[in-house]
Amino acid sequence: MKGSSQKLAPYLFIGPSIILLTLFSLLPILLALVISFTDMDLSGLVNYDSIRFIGLENYTNVLLDPSFIKSLGNTLFFVIIGVPLVLIFSLSIAILINMGKSRAFKIFRVVFYLPSVTNVVAVAVVWSYLYNPTLGLFNYVLGLMNLGPVPWLTDPTVAKVSLIVLAVWRGIGLNMIIFIAAIKGIPGSYYEAAQLDGANTWQQIRYITLPQLRYAIFFVSITTMIGWLQFFEEPFVMTKGKPLDGTLTASLFIYNNGFQFSKFGYAAAGSFILFFAIIAVTLIQFRLQNKAES
Amino acid sequence: MMKRTLGIILASTLLLGGALVGCSSKDDSSGKDASGKTTITLWGMGAEGKLLPEIVKGFEKENPDIHVEVQALPWDNAHDKLLTAVASKSGPDVVQLGTSWVPELASAGALTDITPYISKYPELESKNFFEGAVGTTKFEGKPVGVPWYTETRVLFYRSDLLKQVGYNEAPKTWEELSDAAQKLAARGKGKYGISFSAKEQSMGFMFALQNGSKLVDEQGNPLFNQPPFVDAVKYVNTFFQNGSNAVDIGIDSVQGLQGEGIVPMFISGPFMIKEIKSKAPELEGKWNIAELPGKVNNLSVLGGANLSIMKFSKHPEESAKFLAYMSKPETQLKWMDLSSNLPATTKSWEDAKLKSDPMLRTIRKQLDHSAALPQLAAWEEVSQQFIKSFERIYRGHADVQKEMDDFNQQAASIMKK
Repeated sequence: MKGSSQKLAPYLFIGPSIILLTLFSLLPILLALVISFTDMDLSGLVNYDSIRFIGLENYTNVLLDPSFIKSLGNTLFFVIIGVPLVLIFSLSIAILINMGKSRAFKIFRVVFYLPSVTNVVAVAVVWSYLYNPTLGLFNYVLGLMNLGPVPWLTDPTVAKVSLIVLAVWRGIGLNMIIFIAAIKGIPGSYYEAAQLDGANTWQQIRYITLPQLRYAIFFVSITTMIGWLQFFEEPFVMTKGKPLDGTLTASLFIYNNGFQFSKFGYAAAGSFILFFAIIAVTLIQFRLQNKAES
Repeated sequence: MMKRTLGIILASTLLLGGALVGCSSKDDSSGKDASGKTTITLWGMGAEGKLLPEIVKGFEKENPDIHVEVQALPWDNAHDKLLTAVASKSGPDVVQLGTSWVPELASAGALTDITPYISKYPELESKNFFEGAVGTTKFEGKPVGVPWYTETRVLFYRSDLLKQVGYNEAPKTWEELSDAAQKLAARGKGKYGISFSAKEQSMGFMFALQNGSKLVDEQGNPLFNQPPFVDAVKYVNTFFQNGSNAVDIGIDSVQGLQGEGIVPMFISGPFMIKEIKSKAPELEGKWNIAELPGKVNNLSVLGGANLSIMKFSKHPEESAKFLAYMSKPETQLKWMDLSSNLPATTKSWEDAKLKSDPMLRTIRKQLDHSAALPQLAAWEEVSQQFIKSFERIYRGHADVQKEMDDFNQQAASIMKK
């Protein structure tokens, strides 16, 4: 009696989340996979008979779509610049906050964490005003210094950088918390030993903190990378992919085709291409990590 | 970033799931609540959604057994919400539809053919409305809604500033419009002549119509690379190139009109009249509206909104009754007082108030020179493509003819689907 209930217990614990995952994540993903091989559009939603299977046509069309190619290029740009920035900033801030002993540093933890828990739409409204070409604070300040206005959101390349600035500012908080937790887990005796051997602060960071944080850094770099590959919220609320598709990301491309033009099959195909790209990138990262281990 | 998004998605699906369960349990009942009333839901977009409850009161007074629940949706996500409604086969009984959305939803079979109700409610007969407006309610020859209000684009301008540059009246031709815009822009740095919103989907097509372009031929092929269309695009592009058009300045039309008049001219619909009066009362007497300047003609884009009954409505009878109420000339006039939206029923325009107001008279004249854009399900995508192509022209200085050749090809393949 007691034995059987003990066997059951773990299943009871994970049951609810497994059921929810299946219902709201796995099933929709499978459904999207099926849809990606069809020409489903708005009329297909109402009348299932009008849906036709068209094989790989969506996939070939998406891969030939200049907008999609461009969106992949933009996404890559965001990943290559965004991931290192988030990593460096959140790691340095975590180390700095940890060094501080006074109460002020507790406040800073909150200050850096706030942007990540603030509603993205509220953030976007404020930043839109900061970036506004005519009324914006940034251009106003530049004007005081006699520097010309910067086309923050109206030049394809500058707009990408503007969005990266915003997203990095939003992304620091959560990763900083992860790093702080990891740093707290490093035994103090290591540092004491190093200090006895006469290691200065920089050496302690270089030879103790960073190596000990290897797993935390790996974890954060993977999650951040996936986040940037699916970069959507900021371009969606700030620029809608403009100007000249300069901030069109893969996710935004999928959204536009799915919900603006109702081309569900096409959008589903796009999302699976992105899905496989993310899987591939993550596997490469694991491979590299294993190499570094051995 | 991602971790939080996932959480949000999970949480919202849960909430949605709960909400859907909630909805369906409500649908199981006969739609009557404890007091024996039938409830119909109505979706209104933007400003209309906020004002509709006022109008609904009158209908509920006449029909004490029907309760109308108004839900206001912001324009930005109205389209998504409609898709969700169609997909889940639930949603409102009656919906406000921008005229350009009708074909898309009708082709999906999401709208009720109201032919059977027309014989019952004479208010719904098409002869009561402007012909152009009725055109937007038809899909494959069947009426899938009734015109609710109508609008057309006119030229808004600061009369005092135009006087300063030698225009005692609004520009009447393309040449005059271009000349006035350049003179106004020459007032100094940071001053412009006019703003063509690059995001406005109909602007390019409107100028093409004025240049005599047919947009689409009888066989349904696009004519976007033909001379009348290409020349119109070139004309609009001159405003972008000579600096008389305010692009990317990040202020709205009313702000541009106020004060020194950073942007003293813009093209917009009648809803802006009320907007200017309420936000910029100090401009009283310094601004006016005029019919659009013309080339071959001065056609404007006929817009507005219709009311349709969703296919999945459980109360089509009550909904049709509501449509009939909204189509009464007196309701339409009352709605105009509330919202400044213009009646779609011709009878309402015989009202003294409409005849005496000079601005409304201008709009009435422009209504006679207005055409609806092609009623195609794929039009949304075509016009979005045009915005992208045009951006490559004015921002990337692409060759107009080549860009339009490409656009025409894309449009043809989009329309074929």
